[in-house]
Amino acid sequence: MTIPILVLRRVVLAAATLLIVSLIVFGMLEVLPGDVASRVLGRDATPEALATLRARLGLDLPAWQRYLDWLGGLLSGDPGVSLVSGRPVLDILAPRIFNTLALAAYAFALYLPLTLLPAMAQALTRDRAPDHALSVLTLVLLSLPDFLLATLFMLAFVVTFPLFPAISLVDQTSGLLEYLHAMTLPAVTLAIVMAVYAVRMLRDNLIEVLESDYVRMAELKGLSRLRVLWRHALPNALVPTLNVTGLNLAYLVGGVVVVERVFSYPGFGSLLVDSLQLRDLPVIEATVMIAAAVYVAANLIADVAAILLNPRLRRG
Amino acid sequence: MPPSSNADRRVGLLPRLALFWRQAPLGMQIGIVILAVHLVVAATGPFWAPYGYSQMRAGMPLSGASWAHPFGTDQLGRDIFSRVVHGGHIVLALALSGTLLGLAAGAVIGLWSGYVGGWIDEVVQRLIEALISIPFLVLALMAIATAGPQWSGNPVLIVLVVALVYAPRIARMARASAVEIATRDHVTVARLRGEGAFSVMRRELLPNATGVLLVEFALRAGYAPVLVGSLGFLGFGLRPPTPEWGLIISENRALLIVSPATVIGPGLALASLVVGLNLFTEGLARILGRTVRLGAQ
Repeated sequence: MTIPILVLRRVVLAAATLLIVSLIVFGMLEVLPGDVASRVLGRDATPEALATLRARLGLDLPAWQRYLDWLGGLLSGDPGVSLVSGRPVLDILAPRIFNTLALAAYAFALYLPLTLLPAMAQALTRDRAPDHALSVLTLVLLSLPDFLLATLFMLAFVVTFPLFPAISLVDQTSGLLEYLHAMTLPAVTLAIVMAVYAVRMLRDNLIEVLESDYVRMAELKGLSRLRVLWRHALPNALVPTLNVTGLNLAYLVGGVVVVERVFSYPGFGSLLVDSLQLRDLPVIEATVMIAAAVYVAANLIADVAAILLNPRLRRG
Repeated sequence: MPPSSNADRRVGLLPRLALFWRQAPLGMQIGIVILAVHLVVAATGPFWAPYGYSQMRAGMPLSGASWAHPFGTDQLGRDIFSRVVHGGHIVLALALSGTLLGLAAGAVIGLWSGYVGGWIDEVVQRLIEALISIPFLVLALMAIATAGPQWSGNPVLIVLVVALVYAPRIARMARASAVEIATRDHVTVARLRGEGAFSVMRRELLPNATGVLLVEFALRAGYAPVLVGSLGFLGFGLRPPTPEWGLIISENRALLIVSPATVIGPGLALASLVVGLNLFTEGLARILGRTVRLGAQ
């Protein structure tokens, strides 16, 4: 098969997956047994309020028609109107998505050195004290829930050493420095949670590569250990780690929910929690669809990159 | 194949456990000790905890860590150490039963789909793919929203949600191993004997997929307490005054300045449980000759 056909197949599969996600999301939130209106308004809603909401949601229409309307709206870029504030969902989402993108970019910038440096240090001091110490540290960090890690950072850098604000409020009027100041603790938390997986993987890959013949060759040529590691071992050890980075991107979409909540950062994740608490269906549906789309897109990019980089997959 | 079978079975349980212990890697031994402590505390804690889990004025409110109150006291004067001890069995029960349910559902769906193949397999795979595409915490929160207010705070809901999050991930692994095992001769023979799909699954596929499923169970069980804790922390888990650890952390977070011990205490309990489970999983995977990536979601 030629490359364009293979890539096209992946794209079609990704689109199909998203279509099924949309069915699941709509089905879970709007079709499942039980009255949607009373689920939104809670147990002690008046009959008039229930009737009004039913009319607004168009609950008298059959489910498939509501689904098609909703899907059509999503595809044409109009995910509806918030039930709570009456504002268009898109207006609510846009600034939140911007904030989360900024946070994610910051976290990824921190993630790279936090992955490379400890893993390289471990590979250089293999099976000696620093390697063991870092292994224990990554295992402990791996076992710390992200909400706990975030809370501990808060204890250290907001309470004990008041370097950062407890509440990371930013909006469009905030300057770059304000943004950086507000985003540092959430970004560090996310970066550490992502890095611990990658460090453990990269360490093992580096050590495996360091045992190969061409690395022995480079050592025998008299190159310095750091140069061997950086120029000869690292590029080959990075490929599997890229895979983990794709997984990490997927984590990030869910991870922001908790971390933004702890630091009261006005992003996409805290919007999801807020709208769940307010049972604001159109906003919940849009945020879940975006989260799934990011995941599917990240996997699609990883698949396509693998096809382009590895000729053996082209036969698939 | 490990050299087990008949010769081993004649030896008593205790010597076999002793042998297992000596063969286990150091990390796994540490993990087993941590888990044993957690199990003992969870099982016996409610009988010896110094105070009740919702007993107010057990000490001066927010008095900080002391010998009488190792994890301090909260705003209502409840002893946090007692609350953590009382919560142990809740966290373990929710996490383990949720993972077990997810394992059962995932294994049945995955093995079946991988064995029968064809369009059924294609449909199941797409469905699994779609469920995995929704970040697990988002899926969990959405499922709780689906259940509606009547169900909120119900432990059964939490168990079902943990199972819903894990079942597709476990099904994917089970399917992959079913596809591989189905090509073996003994499966073909069983099919030619005229055995039905479920009989082949139970007698031929399941025994050969045990290793994969065991590691998968341990891996998911290691993360389940965090998932349960995250739900509690975000306010979508059990209701107060249940002493679930994530909920305790979230209740005392606002008072971090006054009394950090009330957050660090339950945090320590949760983190040590997960460390123990992770060390155990890593050792188990090594013994079964599999590689496992801890924390992979």
